[in-house]
Amino acid sequence: MIASIPSAVLLGVDGRPVSVEVHVSNGLPGLTMVGLPDTAVRESRDRVRAALVSSGFPWPRRRITVNLAPSGMRKAGAGLDLPIAIGVLVASGVVDPAAVAGFAFVGELGLDGSVRGVPGTLVLADPLADLRLVVAEEGVHEARLSGGACVSAPTLSEVVARCAGRRPWSEPPTAPPTGDPNGAEGRWPGDLADVLGQPVARRALEAAAAGGHHLLLVGPPGAGKTLLATRLAGLLPDLDIPTARDVTRIRSAAGELRPGAGLVARPPFRAPHHGVSAVALIGGGSAAMRPGEIGLAHGGVLFLDELGEFPAAVLDALRQPLEEGIIRVSRSRGSITYPARFLLVAAMNPCPCGDAGVPGSCRCAPAARARYARRLSGPLLDRFDLAVRVERPSASELVAPRPGEATAIVAGRVRDARRRAAERGVPVNAALAVRDLDQVAPVDGAARSLLERHLRAGRLSARGLHRVRRLARTLADLDGADGTLAVPHLTEALFLRGSRALLLGEEVR
Amino acid sequence: MSAADGRDRACAAALLGLPGMTPVRLARLLDGMRPPVAWAAVRAGTHPADPSRRFTGPARLVEPDEVHRRYQDAGVTVLLAGRAGYPAALVGDPGAPAVLCASGDTGVLEARPAVAVVGTRSATPYGARVAAELGRRLAAAQVVVVSGLARGIDAAAHSGALTAGPGAAPPVAVVGTGLDVPYPKENRVLWARVSSTGAVLSESSLGTRARPMVFPARNRIIAALADVVVVVESHRSGGSLYTAEAAARRAIPVCAVPGSVHSAASAGTNELLIEGCVPVRDADDVLAAVALARQGRGMAAPVPSPSGRRAPPGGPDPADRVQCSVWEAVDDTPTTVETVLLRTDLSLAALTAAGEALVDQGLLTAGAGWWSRA
Repeated sequence: MIASIPSAVLLGVDGRPVSVEVHVSNGLPGLTMVGLPDTAVRESRDRVRAALVSSGFPWPRRRITVNLAPSGMRKAGAGLDLPIAIGVLVASGVVDPAAVAGFAFVGELGLDGSVRGVPGTLVLADPLADLRLVVAEEGVHEARLSGGACVSAPTLSEVVARCAGRRPWSEPPTAPPTGDPNGAEGRWPGDLADVLGQPVARRALEAAAAGGHHLLLVGPPGAGKTLLATRLAGLLPDLDIPTARDVTRIRSAAGELRPGAGLVARPPFRAPHHGVSAVALIGGGSAAMRPGEIGLAHGGVLFLDELGEFPAAVLDALRQPLEEGIIRVSRSRGSITYPARFLLVAAMNPCPCGDAGVPGSCRCAPAARARYARRLSGPLLDRFDLAVRVERPSASELVAPRPGEATAIVAGRVRDARRRAAERGVPVNAALAVRDLDQVAPVDGAARSLLERHLRAGRLSARGLHRVRRLARTLADLDGADGTLAVPHLTEALFLRGSRALLLGEEVR
Repeated sequence: MSAADGRDRACAAALLGLPGMTPVRLARLLDGMRPPVAWAAVRAGTHPADPSRRFTGPARLVEPDEVHRRYQDAGVTVLLAGRAGYPAALVGDPGAPAVLCASGDTGVLEARPAVAVVGTRSATPYGARVAAELGRRLAAAQVVVVSGLARGIDAAAHSGALTAGPGAAPPVAVVGTGLDVPYPKENRVLWARVSSTGAVLSESSLGTRARPMVFPARNRIIAALADVVVVVESHRSGGSLYTAEAAARRAIPVCAVPGSVHSAASAGTNELLIEGCVPVRDADDVLAAVALARQGRGMAAPVPSPSGRRAPPGGPDPADRVQCSVWEAVDDTPTTVETVLLRTDLSLAALTAAGEALVDQGLLTAGAGWWSRA
């Protein structure tokens, strides 16, 4: 007898429908599984057998063949345990096929017959939206974010009983999410008020948050680069609903959505260590092609501390997502695309000794300094609209600090600036198209001659010019200045834009 | 050059090039012995100054005349202590090298007066500018500028001396590496110009690469060659302080250029001033010090400045109060924009606009994230 049970597996950040076909026939007793299962799927035969026996069901002493269709795609994860178990029960005649018609199943089985949640429940529910999806109790709220009809049961025998209508589908004892569903992420490590002094870096941070400009912080050890960067996430407004869906989906696919969580409301903040591999950063590891750090940073901040220590190959992998806002990962087992539109914030020392900046303060050999600066490829450095020096605060600032502005105040200005950008039809000014610049970021006469001087002197490229105008627009927005851009905001943008010389501490002119 | 003299130089060059040779060992080997005699003794393993016969094996692999031919092909003259051509300033000096390699015009070594202009390798724009000005004006005043061809102050002083134009005194460099190994590489062109105009000296054999100990060692030669040593900029433990110390030991006057008390690159020079070295502001001050030194007078007494008061530094238009406040907040040494921001309480936009205007007027020099008064 044959049973066909709908389910799904993860590939990247998408759920792919899988039909679990079970055939029970006469022959040598045993279970064969075909259809490119990976290790976790292959091992499910033992879990399924134990779960069936523990739940009081008979294990058919006949030949069982399980086919996972489409058979050309690799299947990963333990979520196929439950559909395989149901398939065996149906095919061996224990469960009436009519009872499970219209249901889909996703779940891992314990040896005692309990149903456990799997990573990516939300994403897995997507392709099964027109069926009633049966998941583990801990995953039901996550699965419902997809908009489909989802039910849950604690054990395999409960699943069978409830499908057959012998018992009602009851809600799990855990309460549905309320308020900020990702409470732990709503609490940022600290407030901007903790940052003493640093007026330039604070301004750059504010511009980065308001305009979506990538930010590079260069400074000696102990200057507070990391402290500043971690304050950035708190300045960003809550995610809009489409982005929140994407972020939740990606996090679900990565298995990082907390049980019982709803839509992610706050922008993520990801800070991978510089030992990160290219695969861990861009994604594509394991048969499920798990999203990487840049995918998980979608809609939020990707913070790379000690940028100079990252392998060059890893950094250059950032260029496509920085340009296009998506990442395309191709592997022998397939190709996936997922959104990766993030705000890149990086911190690094200016040189091996860390003290370069003002001439005469660094004791590194010029060759060593140049070598250190070369670790950043020109194209990557070019992506940073903002590159500023972070100096160690002076003793007087530490001992008698002037209180800095709190996150709440700055976040208010950021919100206003983003609203102005939204009125121009872009989420942030960094996304302004070049052809729109003349209309939304016009410059007055004095500012035009200033830009011309910089262009003629070779201090500014054509692309640099557009970036400076976008950044100046953001700075003007933050100061509440509409209309034509004047000299001060452009000189400020030119200054905050920094240059490679920032790393070398050279005289510019 | 007689045949006997040529053989002397060849054997000296061969001894100099033996692996493990140091100036002290070489001086002991050549002490009271003509080079061919010393060479034969080293080769035979009977030299009293080489009881462990460490140089015997290597010496047997070398033919002095071949070595000397390489020197001649490279345009390098081998100078022997006590012979013609050896710099007179080094005669009688306790640390004088027994053998010196020279390229360029060795006659320059006898030209007087000579002033050593030395300083840190990581110079500030201020130091580099002072060194270049000193080099140019001293060379124009027929003073031989002696330095080490290192990065920073040394290079600036030599470049300055070379820009003094025709008729100026040629520069002299004393380097730590072999004369065929320009170091640092970025000074290769400067090195060649000093060698073609003046002279470059080294107590290392051809092919000697840069090693940490050779640079302090050559500083004593720089000091000994000079009538006055000027330290333009030095960190608290900088290598140029070795030069100053070597000069002081030889009773050669040491002058120092004052710097900002906030500048790490001037910490060493300011310390020298506290210890009683003569402060110098420009070439006139140095020339006065040279004149006093050549009269054999002590340098403890203050030197009157021959040039009188300087013109007050220019400033921005007093009517522009923002520019004035920015100008006042910027030091002569590089000042970070953040510091200026904290001093002026302006917005960053207003500050950068004023700074841009001041840079355009040539009143400020701009770096990446800092300004200094031009």
